[in-house]
Amino acid sequence: MKYLGYIFRNVRRNILRTILTIGSIGISLFLMMLMLSFLSINATVSETLKGSNRLISMSSQGFAVPLPIRFVEECKAIPGVEHASPLAWFGGSFKEEKMPFAQFGVDADTFSEILYDRKVPAEQLKAFQDDPAGCVIGYKMAAERGLKIGDPLPLKGAIYPIDLDLTVRAIYECKPTEDGRALYYHWKLMEELLKSKNQGRMAGNAGVVYLRLADDANEAEICRKIDAMSLNSQNPTRTMTEDAFVSQFAEMWGDMRTMITAVGFAVVVSLIFVSGNAMAMALRERTTEIAVLKAIGFTNGRILGMVLSECVIVAAIGGLVGALGCKLLFDVVDVSTYTAGGLPFFFVPWRTAMFGLGVSLVIGFVSGLFPAISAARLGVIQGLRKVV
Amino acid sequence: MSEDLAIQLNMVTKEYTRNSMRIPVLENLDLDVCRGEFLALMGPSGSGKTTLLNLIAGLDRATSGDVIVDGLNLSNLSEAQMTKWRADHIGFIFQMYNLIPVMTAQENVELPLLLQPVSRRERRRRATTALKIVGLEGREDHYPRQLSGGQEQRVAIARAIVTDPALIVADEPTGDLDRTSAQEILELLESLHRDLEKTIVMVTHDPQAAARASRLLQLDKGKLVGDEMQTAPIRPGSVVA
Ligand SMILES: Nc1ncnc2c1ncn2[C@@H]1O[C@H](COP(=O)(O)OP(=O)(O)OP(=O)(O)O)[C@@H](O)[C@H]1O
Ligand SMILES: [Mg+2]
Repeated sequence: MKYLGYIFRNVRRNILRTILTIGSIGISLFLMMLMLSFLSINATVSETLKGSNRLISMSSQGFAVPLPIRFVEECKAIPGVEHASPLAWFGGSFKEEKMPFAQFGVDADTFSEILYDRKVPAEQLKAFQDDPAGCVIGYKMAAERGLKIGDPLPLKGAIYPIDLDLTVRAIYECKPTEDGRALYYHWKLMEELLKSKNQGRMAGNAGVVYLRLADDANEAEICRKIDAMSLNSQNPTRTMTEDAFVSQFAEMWGDMRTMITAVGFAVVVSLIFVSGNAMAMALRERTTEIAVLKAIGFTNGRILGMVLSECVIVAAIGGLVGALGCKLLFDVVDVSTYTAGGLPFFFVPWRTAMFGLGVSLVIGFVSGLFPAISAARLGVIQGLRKVV
Repeated sequence: MSEDLAIQLNMVTKEYTRNSMRIPVLENLDLDVCRGEFLALMGPSGSGKTTLLNLIAGLDRATSGDVIVDGLNLSNLSEAQMTKWRADHIGFIFQMYNLIPVMTAQENVELPLLLQPVSRRERRRRATTALKIVGLEGREDHYPRQLSGGQEQRVAIARAIVTDPALIVADEPTGDLDRTSAQEILELLESLHRDLEKTIVMVTHDPQAAARASRLLQLDKGKLVGDEMQTAPIRPGSVVA
């Protein structure tokens, strides 16, 4: 502890070199945090959805292929299924925005039963259910676009050749790890418009089917039952829990993850070289000084410890700037606002930030080993003879 | 018999090996130094003065023979033991002062005390006293680069005496100083010898510096070629500059 003052003086000794080392580590860790957090988002969402008692049943050919609406009723008949609703992706544009936010057609009567984690005041829920052209929107989206209850919300169809002239009837609250920017409208409204304006083409589709179970006891069993029921129909299904559904998206990034891990590893190795080189250069200038310290009684172990500490301190500052800085920055700035609905939310989990900090400590330690050992092994006499 | 001996060298030989060639630097050296002596070591460049000093200070090991300092045979110590021993027994003064540039005068002087079981306050007190002895009161917070060469060397002397070592070794302590600063440093060493009864071994090329010592050794090609007591060291003031 009493050597800490000296160690910090050494850190500040060649301030430019120290700042450059801190900068390299900081910037690299910042980017690493971004990538890791991005990859972990789906996993985080999936984690929070465990035990939601919800299933998603989609076509065995993928969620882009819609299931027929009668399938919703068939699911309801299965024991253990409490509620079932269509979940139809409208994908319309709002004003000038092409892909503004997720829009789902749902069964208004079961909305609050299935999507029980979207919290809506009772009178707003009733207003939504009573207005066939009503919609529920997320609090983030309402705040960002300045939308209030009663405001018109026209959606121009892109996938469907119909427009939805909706009115905001309810605004839901949800946890920060859930999508606060979605919109839910009456599936029936879309169905009627398709029938009246599109000669019934594209009508009768549920999209995917959203199911709420009584409990999570027989999840796997019910999934199997549903898929078995549809196996020999025209629309075989694939049914899974909601968290499994979300982690599919994470798996889509699987190859990316391997690549990012490899790149991250390479970055760590090169940071070890950067930091180790800076330390070795700093020590070269201090050869005589180290010899003097040894002459007056500093043991090799103490020298080793001081050099290692110096390296770890510099790297840790880089880690604090890069990893914790990244975490705190994205706690304050919500970048998901700027991703046009591509990301429901973005944040750097504590776990990731701590991991980054840990990585910086490892960088400091490993990069300091070689310079520290050579400093510890420096011969006193040779060091004193060297004229600097 | 060795009770009052500060340093005892018995048949000390030091040789280096370069490309399997043995280079003898010191050969069969015998030497007894009493406590409280102020020893000057002279000789041509390459005669082995620094090498001898390093052996006495426990920085290096003899190839053969015994180096006994304060009754302790250094050849029996491990490297770690030797390091610890140096911290407790030896004060070092170098030609190039070798202060730590990022530390103030006060901190430089406190440095050896970090290795002792001494409280922070006691460290501060002792360093202040040492700086007072070398006449640098009021300079505690100056960094080496804010001091003259002579002042830097005085800080170095304060650092050498702060642990109250029995033996002070100085390798050409005035070699890099102008005449006036050199005089001051020599007077300081003299007073350490006279008033604090320190044993001092000083390597020097300067006959006037050597004249201050109580005993003068001449080294040539690794052998002692002269050893004379200087009973009446020249007093300051009588030196013709
Ligand atoms: N590591 C080494 N390997 C080989 N030879 C060495 C080594 N260190 C010192 N020497 C040789 O030992 C001899 C004595 O060196 P030393 O430094 O003791 O001389 P010195 O009397 O202090 O000289 P100077 O007055 O120039 O300081 C020199 O010839 C030197 O070249
Ligand atoms: Mg020499």
